[in-house]
Amino acid sequence: MKKIEAIIKPFKLDDVKEALNEIGIQGMTITEVKGYGRQKGHKEIYRGAEYVVDFVPKIKIEIIVKKEQADEVVNTICKASNTGKIGDGKIFVLPVDDVIRVRTGERGADAL
Amino acid sequence: MVLTALKSQIIENNTQTDNQRKKVSDNIVKNLDTIKSDSAELIMKRKELIEKFADSQKLALYKSVLQESESLNLYESGLFQTSDFLEAYTRIIDEYFHNLFTKSTTAREMTVSGSKFALVALGGYGRGEQCVHSDVDILILFEKKLPPTPNTESLVKELIYPLWDAKLETGYAVRTIKECLSMAWNDFDILTTMLDARFICGGSHIYSMLMEKFRTKLSKKYIQTSLNCLIEQSRKRYTDYGDSTYLLEPNLKSGHGGLRDYHTILWYGRIMSDIRCRRDLERYGFLSHDEFKTLENSLMFIWNIRNMLHCISGRKCDQLHFEHQVELANLFSLKDNHGHKAVETFMGELHSKMDSIKQINLMLTEDIQLSKRARLFTAIKHATNYKGIIVRERRLEFDSVEMIPRHPDLLLKIFVESGRLKKPLSIEARRIVSEFSYLIDDTFRSKPSNVESFEEILSYSLWEFNVINVMLTTGLLVKFMPEFSLILNKIQYNQYHLFPVDKHSIRCVQVINSFRESNIKNSISKVDNFRENDISQNKVQDTKRAESNQSNLLYAGIYRELRNRKTLLMAALLHDIGKGDPSEEHSERGSEIARNIMVRSGYSQSDVDEVAFLVKHHLFLIKIATRRDISDEEISVFCASKIEKVPLLKKLYLLTVADSIATGPKAWNGWTEALLRDLFIKVMGVLKNRELATKKAVKNIHRKKEEVLELNRNGYQDSSLEQKDRKNCNPWDETLLLKELDSMSRRYLLYVSAPEIISHLNLYRQLENRDFLWQIASDDNSDIRTITICGKDKPGFYSKLAGVFFLNGLNIAGSQAYSFGSNTALDIFKVMPPKDKIFEHEKWEKAEREFQQALNDDSFLDRLTDKLPKSIVLQSCQMCIPNEVRIDNETSSFFTIIEVFAFDFPGLLFAITNVLYKLGLDVRVAMVATKIDQVVDVFYVKAVDNGKIDDTKRQDEIKHAILEALPLITGHNS
Repeated sequence: MKKIEAIIKPFKLDDVKEALNEIGIQGMTITEVKGYGRQKGHKEIYRGAEYVVDFVPKIKIEIIVKKEQADEVVNTICKASNTGKIGDGKIFVLPVDDVIRVRTGERGADAL
Repeated sequence: MVLTALKSQIIENNTQTDNQRKKVSDNIVKNLDTIKSDSAELIMKRKELIEKFADSQKLALYKSVLQESESLNLYESGLFQTSDFLEAYTRIIDEYFHNLFTKSTTAREMTVSGSKFALVALGGYGRGEQCVHSDVDILILFEKKLPPTPNTESLVKELIYPLWDAKLETGYAVRTIKECLSMAWNDFDILTTMLDARFICGGSHIYSMLMEKFRTKLSKKYIQTSLNCLIEQSRKRYTDYGDSTYLLEPNLKSGHGGLRDYHTILWYGRIMSDIRCRRDLERYGFLSHDEFKTLENSLMFIWNIRNMLHCISGRKCDQLHFEHQVELANLFSLKDNHGHKAVETFMGELHSKMDSIKQINLMLTEDIQLSKRARLFTAIKHATNYKGIIVRERRLEFDSVEMIPRHPDLLLKIFVESGRLKKPLSIEARRIVSEFSYLIDDTFRSKPSNVESFEEILSYSLWEFNVINVMLTTGLLVKFMPEFSLILNKIQYNQYHLFPVDKHSIRCVQVINSFRESNIKNSISKVDNFRENDISQNKVQDTKRAESNQSNLLYAGIYRELRNRKTLLMAALLHDIGKGDPSEEHSERGSEIARNIMVRSGYSQSDVDEVAFLVKHHLFLIKIATRRDISDEEISVFCASKIEKVPLLKKLYLLTVADSIATGPKAWNGWTEALLRDLFIKVMGVLKNRELATKKAVKNIHRKKEEVLELNRNGYQDSSLEQKDRKNCNPWDETLLLKELDSMSRRYLLYVSAPEIISHLNLYRQLENRDFLWQIASDDNSDIRTITICGKDKPGFYSKLAGVFFLNGLNIAGSQAYSFGSNTALDIFKVMPPKDKIFEHEKWEKAEREFQQALNDDSFLDRLTDKLPKSIVLQSCQMCIPNEVRIDNETSSFFTIIEVFAFDFPGLLFAITNVLYKLGLDVRVAMVATKIDQVVDVFYVKAVDNGKIDDTKRQDEIKHAILEALPLITGHNS
C-alpha cells in the first residue's frame, strides 16, 4: 500500500476531489496547511504597512491506496491541480506498512 | 393515548412562536395534570409496581430493578413522567435501604451494642432527583465514635455491595457528626452534599443532631463565605465547561445553563433560608412565580433528555455528543419540517431551556452579590441622561413604572444608558421591560429617535458588556425587530457553526465594535480560546501573536477610516437574518428582509442599498479567497467591479472578518485570515488604481463585447488582410465566442478595438498546434506594418520577437503584449517596413523562419547583443536626458512594473527585453511607445515564482542590468 500526500493550492481542492471521486477514491484526509517551497512568500502593502505572507496557505491531501492504484491517483491529482504556474504544489508517495480498521480489526488492503 | 398527544404537542411547541408556545406549554401542564388525576389506571399500575417492590421478602427483585435493564424498562414504559420517574426511582432505592436495614443483622448488632447510626442520602439522591445512571451517594452517620472497622466493613458489605452488583455507581462515606462538620468547612464539595442531605433510615435523632449543628454553624458565621465559595465555584465551572447554552455538544450537568446551575440556585436557597424543596424557592421569594415555572419547565425537559441519554448511551453520560443528538431528536418524535432539521429544532429547544436556567441563575447570583455589596454602597439614587431612568445600587432602574406607558421610549433608553454607563439593568427592570414590551408597535419602530437609540445600543455592545444580549433575553429585541424571531435559537447542525444564529449575529456586532477598542487583541484571542501551555510552542505562539497583532491593527485601522459605520453594524446584526427561511438561499433572502427593516426604520436610500448589498454578499469575499486563484489579477478585477467602491469594500471586508470570527475557530484561523487579507489588499489595489474596475471600464468592456458579437453576426472580415488570410474566417458560433470573450483579460478588452479582437480570435483559432502564427497588415494611412503574433507562450517569446525584428533591421515603433486564453501570447508590433520594398514579402518570410529558429534555440540570438550600439553620440539639436529605470511595486498587486526611459535606437526593445528574459522575468504586459526620440517602455513582469519582485536588492540588480545593456549616451558638446 502507498500513502499519497499532495500539497495543492486551496482553490484546486474541489477539482481534485471530483477527479479522485471519478476514479473511485472513496476517502481522503485534508488539512489546511501553510508553508513555502520555491514559491516563496510575498508581501502586500496597505497604507504603507507591509503584510508579509511567509507561509503560503495550501491544502494537504492524504490518501492511502493499494500499490497498483498509486500511479493513477498521482496522475489524477497532477492533472487536476495543475495551473501551469509555480506554486501548484508537490506530491509525495510513501510506503505504508499496514492499515488497521479500528472497529473490526481488519488489516491490510481490506481495511482501506 | 394521552402520551402520544403530549408528544405531538411538544413537537408543535418547538415550531411555534412565543405566544403559541406559551399556550401549548400551558396545555402540556394541563395534560400532565390529567395524567396525574384522571388516568387512574396508570396510577394503579404505578402503585402496584411500588408495592411489589415494597414486599420485604423480595430483595432479589430490588436488585433486578436496580439493574440497568430494569430501570431502563421502567423509564421506557412511560409510567413515570420525568420528575415522577426521578422521584419513583429514588423511592425504589429508599425502599431497598429500608428493607435491608430492617433485615440486616450487622445493623441490629450495632444498635444493640450502642453505636447507633443513620443512613443519609447525599447529592442527587439526597435531592430525590435520581436519573437512570446517576450516582447513589450514601453517608453512614455515627453519633460520636465509629465502631471497630470489621463491623463497619460488614455493614458496608451488606448495604452497599448489592448496589454495586446491580451496577449502580455508588459512593459511600462512614463518618461521625464531628467529622462531617469539620470536613464541610474545609471542603466546599462536601458542604454542598451536606446541603442536599436527606434522612433515609436508622437513628433519626443522629441525623437531626447533625443538621441542627450544621445549620447553626452555617447561619452563625459561614453564610457569606459559603455564598462566595459557591459563586467562585460556578465561575470556575464556566471556564472549565464553557457555556452550554451555545455549545454544539453541551454538557447537561456541568455546563453553563446545565443542571448544576439549578443546583447552585437551590444551594443559594438552602444556605440562606434552609429551604427543603424546589418549590420553596418560590415560597421563600428567591424566584417569582413565572421564573419558578420556567425553571420547572426547563428542568423537566433537561432531565428527560438526560434520562434518555443515559438509556441510549448505557452509562452515566452528561455530554450530549453529536452522535446522540439525532437519535434523541427521533426519540422525541421530532420530524424535519420546512427545511428545518428535527435535530436542529431539538437542539434549539434544549439551548433555549438551558438559557432560561442560566438566566435565572445569573439573576439570582447578581441579586446575592448585590445584597452583599449593598452594605458598602448606600441606596442613593443617581439620575441619568433620561428622566425616568435612575441608577440605584449600581443597577439601572425605572424611576416609576407609571411613566412607561406614556413614554415607551424609556424601554430602549434604559439599554442605551446601560451601554453608555456600563451598568447592568436590575432584575426588576428586566422584568418590567419584558412586561411592557407589548407597547412596541410599528410607529415606535419607525420613530427616528428610537432608531437612533437602537444604533447607539448596537455600538455599545461589547464582549465585556453585552447590552444587546440582555435586550435579546428580555424579548425587547424581537419586539423591536420582529424578523429576529425567525433566527431565535436557530441551531445549524454542523461542526462549523458553534452558535445559534441569533447569538452569532450578536457576536458579529461585538467583533466589529471590538475593532474600535484598542484592546482588540484580547477580545479576539478570547474568541479563539487559544490556550497553549506547551513551552516549546512559545516561539510559534509569539510569531502567531505578532501576526495576529498586526492584522488586528489592520482591522482597527480600516475601521477608523470608515464613515457611516451604522450601516456596517446593521449589516452585522442582520447578515444571517435570512437563515430563518430555509426555502431560499439565506443571503438573498436576508438581503430582502434587511431591506424591509431598513426602509421601515426610515434610513436613506443609499444606506438601505448598502446594507442590502452587504447582507447579500457577506460570503462573497470568503468564497473567492478560499475557492479561487487569488494570484490571478482577473479574480481581483472581478471582485472590484462587483463592489465598485472603496468604502464598501472596506465594510464588506470587516463584515467578512467579523462573521468568520463570530462563527468559531473552524471558520477563522491564520489560514483563512491570510487568504482573505491577501484578496482584500489586491482588490483594494485594483479599485484604487481606477483602471480596470471603474464603472466606466466595466461599461466599456460590456459595450466592447456587444460590438464584437455584432460584428461577428454581420460576418465581419478584416479588410487589411490579404486574401489568403481571409479563408477560415467564418463567423464564430456565438456561445463559443462569448466564452472566449469572457476568458479574456480586461486589460485586453479595454484597450483593443472590436474589429481587432475578431481578427485576433481568428488567428488564435488557426494556431492549433503550431508554435506561432503571425499576420501582417499594412496601415492605409501610414507606412507602418502591424504584425500580430499569436503563439504558445514561452519564456523569452517577446524578447526573441524583438530580437528577430532587430536582426532584420525592422524598426519597432510600438508594441503591446497580452496573454490570451491559457498559455497563449498575443503580441502586436508596429514596425517600420524594410527599406527594400520590392522584396518585402521575402524579408518577412525570412524573419518568420528566424523566429522559429530562435524559439527552438536559445543561443540563436546571443551574438545579436554584440550588434547593439555601445554608445550613442547625440546630435546638436537633441537634449541629453539620462537613461532611467523605475521599478514600481505598488501600483499593481500582481505585477512589478518596470518603466524604462531611454534614448531610442534600433534594437532598444530587444536590449531591454533580453535582459529581462535572462534575469528570469516573465513579461506579461508590455506597452512600448516612442515620443520623438525619448522612449517610454512599460513592462508588467512577474518573477518565475509567479509573484512580484519584493526584494530591494533584486530590484537594484534589475535596474543595473537594464542600464548596463543600454548604450552610453554622449552629448553633442563632448
